[in-house]
Amino acid sequence: MAIATQGTASNYLQRAPSPSGLADVVELILDKGLVIDAYVRISVIGIELITIDARIVIASVDTYLRFAEQVNRLDLTQTEAAGLAELRDGGGNGGGKAKGSLEGAKEAFSGGGDRQKDRAERG
Amino acid sequence: MGVQNLSATNGNAASATAVYSYGVTWAGAARPQPGVGVAGGSVEPVRHGELAALTSHVESTKIRATRRDLLSHSDVLSAALEQGTVLPFRFGVVFESDAALVDDFLRPRHDELTGLLRTFEGRGELTVKAFYREHAILAEIVRENPRIARLREVTRHSNEASTYSLRVELGESAAGELRERTRRDRQALLERLRPLAIDVEIDEEPIEHEVLRASFLVDLDRVPAFDEAMDELARSQAERMHFKYLGPLAPHSFVSLTPAEGR
Repeated sequence: MAIATQGTASNYLQRAPSPSGLADVVELILDKGLVIDAYVRISVIGIELITIDARIVIASVDTYLRFAEQVNRLDLTQTEAAGLAELRDGGGNGGGKAKGSLEGAKEAFSGGGDRQKDRAERG
Repeated sequence: MGVQNLSATNGNAASATAVYSYGVTWAGAARPQPGVGVAGGSVEPVRHGELAALTSHVESTKIRATRRDLLSHSDVLSAALEQGTVLPFRFGVVFESDAALVDDFLRPRHDELTGLLRTFEGRGELTVKAFYREHAILAEIVRENPRIARLREVTRHSNEASTYSLRVELGESAAGELRERTRRDRQALLERLRPLAIDVEIDEEPIEHEVLRASFLVDLDRVPAFDEAMDELARSQAERMHFKYLGPLAPHSFVSLTPAEGR
């Protein structure tokens, strides 16, 4: 089955033909896909923990205070300029802070998993 | 009808004790993939009837989700998808032997699996993620909600202790406003995309600044129409959102088996 790997027709938003980063892969193949319970022999030490870390629950005083700080730090006079800069740099194909921090978390957990593994092997 | 591939893969059998499985495809579409499997192994088809499972021999039935092996699993499925329809396994499915794979899985579920392969023929999974641009969405909230704008004016230049409760109130209001905008924007995105898909799976667990995380099952000949819709959305929302758009992939979010009997 030949599948078009080009982006969208006007090339404004690029469609990636296959997952490239670890975060994309983790979402696809750890949570989803055919599973036969008796045959899954997987050790996922560390992974569930970090997946939860990456999911922020917006319902605590700490989160509210952090939110307030973000709102207060906003420079509204620069909104227009910042928006345009993001447009120029981001190009609409990902990038940006949210992605960065999420993938950062996943990378970190991957490292954590390996440390767990090392411990398990030594122990 | 036996385990055609058993003799071919027995070359590794002396050291290998288990069979890692990536997915199931048509026997005629399955191709070996040398050296790219989990733990650096080769990918070999194990055939039964019209089916082939893509497998690698591994040294243990215990599999760890390492970065490298997660990526290998995904890459093997992507390569297989170039050859034909694939039913992807979740990471970590391991059989004790080729014979167990055939006897416990491919043979008893032969008709169910061929039925699934036909269902997903000519279809693929597109994943869409939309995120707010943090600065833009917060600025929008301050601009459009006078109460939040006032709280901001009161709290931003005064010392922390004296405005503690006002700052909590500001944060709570802003968070609530963000939730509401997320709900509305998610709905608008889905209204545009859902009609182009056969099915949709939406991830409801919130991630900060995420508007939508969803997988769409689409006919491959509708992918250009989906591209067009995504492009339009990305353009019209460019100042406040950015998107990640991936596929077509094997139908990870849409495959499932009927529960096994007698377990």
